[in-house]
Amino acid sequence: MFNFRIMQFYALLKREVLEHMTMFLFAPLVLAAVILLAVIWVMNLLTDDDLAVIIEYAATLFNGLSPTEMAPIFMLLAIPFLVVLLVCTLAFLLNTLFQDRKDASVLFWQSMPVSNLQTVLSKIVAIVAIAPALYMGVLLSLYLILVVWLSLLGASYDVEIAGLGYMFMAAAVSLMLVYLSAIVAGLWLLPTLGWLLLFSSYATRAPAMWALGVFFALLFLEDFIFGSQFLVNWIESRSNPAQYVIFSFSDIFDRLFNYDMLFGVLVGSILISGAVVMRRYTD
Amino acid sequence: MEMIRRLVLRNRHSVMAATLIAYILAVVVEGAATGREMRTIDLDNPFFDLNIRDFDEWRERRDDDF
Repeated sequence: MFNFRIMQFYALLKREVLEHMTMFLFAPLVLAAVILLAVIWVMNLLTDDDLAVIIEYAATLFNGLSPTEMAPIFMLLAIPFLVVLLVCTLAFLLNTLFQDRKDASVLFWQSMPVSNLQTVLSKIVAIVAIAPALYMGVLLSLYLILVVWLSLLGASYDVEIAGLGYMFMAAAVSLMLVYLSAIVAGLWLLPTLGWLLLFSSYATRAPAMWALGVFFALLFLEDFIFGSQFLVNWIESRSNPAQYVIFSFSDIFDRLFNYDMLFGVLVGSILISGAVVMRRYTD
Repeated sequence: MEMIRRLVLRNRHSVMAATLIAYILAVVVEGAATGREMRTIDLDNPFFDLNIRDFDEWRERRDDDF
């Protein structure tokens, strides 16, 4: 029975990835191709002597350094991919349940032996864990291509390239930190995920407008009627990226198990429960 | 309990209302319990004091200045 549930969930995850291949795979691939072309263009502008000096300098700089200590520097390189992932995540969360209802595929999935809870959870796991893994996979491939290319160039210029191996290891460790940060961010921002999913499953049109409109209306009404600002302070207290970015593996436990994280998961669960129940109404 | 359940599950709007009420209650109760509530967006400060009732006086003062 447990294995059957796992297989069901795996099938739902596979469905999400296949249905959203553009967001999950093609978007980072296009970005990686653009970055690769930009690097090739820049390197073509340099003379062979300059290129040899840069490769030798990079190899010397990273030679013998600890990859885990150098990893935070390489995390900056992932920022363009994280921005694309953020945009894709917002689009995915706002449209996924809305689209299911709009194209009536919700009726098909309700006729299958999967519950609404499993379906909604599969969407959350897909965007919080699977999508960042695919993005990091693409970024790792990009790093690998660049390091192999630099190594071949360095060998052809007859410069010392042993340090490039350390550079690649630091880059690979940084991807693990970025991936863990993405998962922790997904849990930290679970109330936001739940909010978007709730309005995705509720709205009959323009879910983004509903989500934003009700959000600002609640903030205004709280201040106007009660004169308090609990909601705005709750949001303000959770909007600092330093609360979920991980720069060292030793930070993970502190980031995952603290009062604010667990309370956020609780509030997110309330909103996600609403989205799950809302899927009963297919009109 | 059954009555509340039926009330909440009556239609999509009642589910939405119940979810939002549960969300707001959780945030407000936790905010009140932990003392999170404070006025972050507040125009009361010693360098910027806007009071509509003083507007005439302010206009007169500005006219005097110029």
